[in-house]
Amino acid sequence: MNNLEKLLTIDHISKAYGAVQALKSVSFDLFRGEIVALVGDNGAGKSTLVKILSGLIQPTSGNLIFKGRPVHFRTPADALAYGIETVYQHLALVEQLDVADNVYLGRETYRWGAVGRWLGVLDRRHMREQTATALSQLHIKIPAPTLPVSSMSGGQRQAVAIGRAVTWGRELLILDEPTAALGVEETEQVLQMIEKLRDQQGISMLIISHNMQDVYRIADRIVVLRQGRHVATINKPDTSPQEIVAYITGAKEAQVAPV
Amino acid sequence: MSASATGLPTTRRTSPGEFFAQYGIVLVLVVLVVSMTILSPILREGQQLFLTPRNLIQVLLQAAINAIIAVGMTYVITSGGIDLSVGSIVALCGVLSAMVMRDVNTFNLFGLTFSLDGPIGAVMGFGVAVGVGTLCGFANGLLITRLNLSPFIATLGTMGIFRGIALVISEGRSIYGFDQEFKNFFAGRIPINETLELPIAVIIAILIAIVFWFFLTQTRLGKYTIAIGGSEETARVAGISVQRHKVGLYALCGFLTGIAGALLLARLNSGDPTFGGLFELNAIAAVVMGGTRLSGGQGSISGTIVGALIISLVQNAMNIFNVPSYWQQVVIGTVIVFAVVLDQQRRRASRY
Ligand SMILES: Nc1ncnc2c1ncn2[C@@H]1O[C@H](COP(=O)(O)OP(=O)(O)OP(=O)(O)O)[C@@H](O)[C@H]1O
Ligand SMILES: [Mg+2]
Repeated sequence: MNNLEKLLTIDHISKAYGAVQALKSVSFDLFRGEIVALVGDNGAGKSTLVKILSGLIQPTSGNLIFKGRPVHFRTPADALAYGIETVYQHLALVEQLDVADNVYLGRETYRWGAVGRWLGVLDRRHMREQTATALSQLHIKIPAPTLPVSSMSGGQRQAVAIGRAVTWGRELLILDEPTAALGVEETEQVLQMIEKLRDQQGISMLIISHNMQDVYRIADRIVVLRQGRHVATINKPDTSPQEIVAYITGAKEAQVAPV
Repeated sequence: MSASATGLPTTRRTSPGEFFAQYGIVLVLVVLVVSMTILSPILREGQQLFLTPRNLIQVLLQAAINAIIAVGMTYVITSGGIDLSVGSIVALCGVLSAMVMRDVNTFNLFGLTFSLDGPIGAVMGFGVAVGVGTLCGFANGLLITRLNLSPFIATLGTMGIFRGIALVISEGRSIYGFDQEFKNFFAGRIPINETLELPIAVIIAILIAIVFWFFLTQTRLGKYTIAIGGSEETARVAGISVQRHKVGLYALCGFLTGIAGALLLARLNSGDPTFGGLFELNAIAAVVMGGTRLSGGQGSISGTIVGALIISLVQNAMNIFNVPSYWQQVVIGTVIVFAVVLDQQRRRASRY
């Protein structure tokens, strides 16, 4: 962990949906270049936290501090502007668009100069070339950037979705269950890709997973949520998959004192 | 077709089913034209009533107004929405535009009096129709995005509201007696050669089709429309202002419907609060026949144009064969059902 340089501080974040307290004063730090796994049972509040970090919803109370400055993400575009990219399990790609159109979704480049920019005339050739280059640098093999997403396998889609996020995410990559829908071989490809990204690009990642083996393998630290509460933050060398499960289920009591 | 993690076929083989689904609509058009050409003299004592320049121009003219609305409808349906209020917008635009042209003859600016007869009046009438249409579409968009209503329910409501307003302000009567300059231009024809004259309405429809084909396939507007129809949430998390874009799409549909309303007003030489009945049916029929998915995420302007031509041809055929016009609605409704069935089969064919 590069000298423990803080990237993002989650500071007493709470979120209520009516009477449901999805998050109860959750606080922890994310450091540069580390992989943090966010784990917890169904309904623990993981996706809620991810949505707050990516600007899809706003917290009821609490602050986000990005590189030492308080930030407010009112829309996804705000979070994206800070270099925070999120890959949602079911919302990663638009099936009806091809690979390049997906990678450049919301970040189009235009031709025909100022007029083309104003009219929004897409420079598809440029975007396809750039997509092919970017994906091949990440060792993601796709026959052509013009391939429609609807004809790709689950593993290919996930790889493209992560590739898209890496292409634009300068600071933090958030992955919500990146391997949940994948087979054994495809899962392995995605995990290797995640490890390679950390080692080569030094990018921070927050990964949600229900698979303890995967978590234990790729994470540097593990943050456990239980019923909306942050119950533990554990360094991998100090723990075991069994202990993580014990925190998740409540067999082991909260290590973090309620604030 | 199968796809694996390791490799994918880069070329797709087209099955007969897929081929028909893709080009079937053009085939239907060709079959209609050929059979009409053959049947018309047989059934009408040797007279060729169908394949004459005059009649074919009539087919195009019939198709033009529907095609213009259907282009807007293509965008709305591609985004996963629907607009049932287009017929009422046509009526409201016609009534308001006719009233303004009839009643506002002069206006004062900086102490000078301008006459609003002639070309200025015609431009003003057109401007009112288009402006009212755009505002109506804008209202639809706001209802859908701000109040979170389903497009079906929101535009079902405004379908009643817009027509109701048209009835109220016209007191249920036709509005006529407005400037002839308007009619002369918008219901006019441009000579192509000695025998052939192309109606202005057809030329406007062709221009609109080209421009909005370009926007759908080549620009951000089209891409975002497809993305929103494909997966609204994905578009949102990609940082696209989905709500704003949707409002824009309904405003666009209203804008094009306003143009159609102005053309109808010129053609019928009066604005009437009952005009535009079932226009939504014809527009939606043209769109779904043309291969645009009712579920959103895919749209085709060229398909929509072919669809509008088919509807016009069917109407024309029924006129030639003296089928009572009431039957036309039965036929159009049936065509919609068939088009949706075709769409479902196509979807099954494209799955692997
Ligand atoms: N939009 C919403 N409206 C009301 N309640 C919600 C909403 N979204 C989530 N919740 C509730 O908030 C709590 C946390 O949900 P969340 O989706 O964050 O859990 P999760 O940890 O991601 O679970 P899973 O592992 O099943 O994905 C749950 O009790 C859930 O029912
Ligand atoms: Mg979840």
